Amino acid sequence: MGLVARSLEAHGIATVVLSMMPEFNREIGIPRVAAIEHPFGRIVGEVDDVDGQKQVLKAALSVLETAEMPGQVEHLPFIWHEEPKATDWHPPVISPIIKLYLDEIKKAGAEARG
Amino acid sequence: MTEKNKVVNGLRFLPPSLGAWIASTIPEDEFSGDIPWTPMKKPVSESVFALMTSAGINMNADAPFDMEREKRDPMWGDPSYRRIPTTATQADIDVNHLHVNTDYIKKDINVVLPINRFQELEADGTIGSLAPTAYSYYGYQMDPGVLMNETMPKVAVDMKAEGVEAALLTPT
Repeated sequence: MGLVARSLEAHGIATVVLSMMPEFNREIGIPRVAAIEHPFGRIVGEVDDVDGQKQVLKAALSVLETAEMPGQVEHLPFIWHEEPKATDWHPPVISPIIKLYLDEIKKAGAEARG
Repeated sequence: MTEKNKVVNGLRFLPPSLGAWIASTIPEDEFSGDIPWTPMKKPVSESVFALMTSAGINMNADAPFDMEREKRDPMWGDPSYRRIPTTATQADIDVNHLHVNTDYIKKDINVVLPINRFQELEADGTIGSLAPTAYSYYGYQMDPGVLMNETMPKVAVDMKAEGVEAALLTPT
């Protein structure tokens, strides 16, 4: 998404990325980021939560008016209503890339745990 | 619910091993290169907006994103895009994505492509207007060459033709 934002900005369109992984800003350099701790597949908000979705969108839009320089990350204050394990965001079948790299992923996890 | 001074942890919803693996690929230092930048020319309340998501949404009348090739070639992701009229209803769309549970999007497109919310934000004067077309691509691009060199210039032309001045981008 960061690369898409960079492309649109280069074409003269201002952007804000609503991002659940603002850490990628360190890798790509994203023009404007509104960071939010929402689960994958529901970044704007919960199904049919009209008011909650609208609050998130208004907060993201405000970043277009407050960001003064490229690369700024604004952390939005919203708290998701479920614990991570209860969010059920995973695909029903393990994705091809995760399947391919499963041994490396397990190794990275073991190293992180020390 | 909100929390003052919240700092978003992008790894929070990932299983620990997957989070550690992804974190190992992200540099520790801040980005130091150039970043393209288009200033806002008008307030949000006067600007024309487009929406774009990486959720893999397509109109039922159009071809779905190609999941079968990715199953055979895990390093490949469909680099094309789809135009989604902002008048589309839930019954008009489908979604395909191998990396997230798409059930929520199938119930309410606004969880990733908030076309109805932006219509309401236009009606209440928060934004100037919502452009007639939203955009969907597939957010798994290990090699972003085709997306960047072929797809994005077309999207930019489409957006400009509808007078778009600013875009909200929503990943999956």
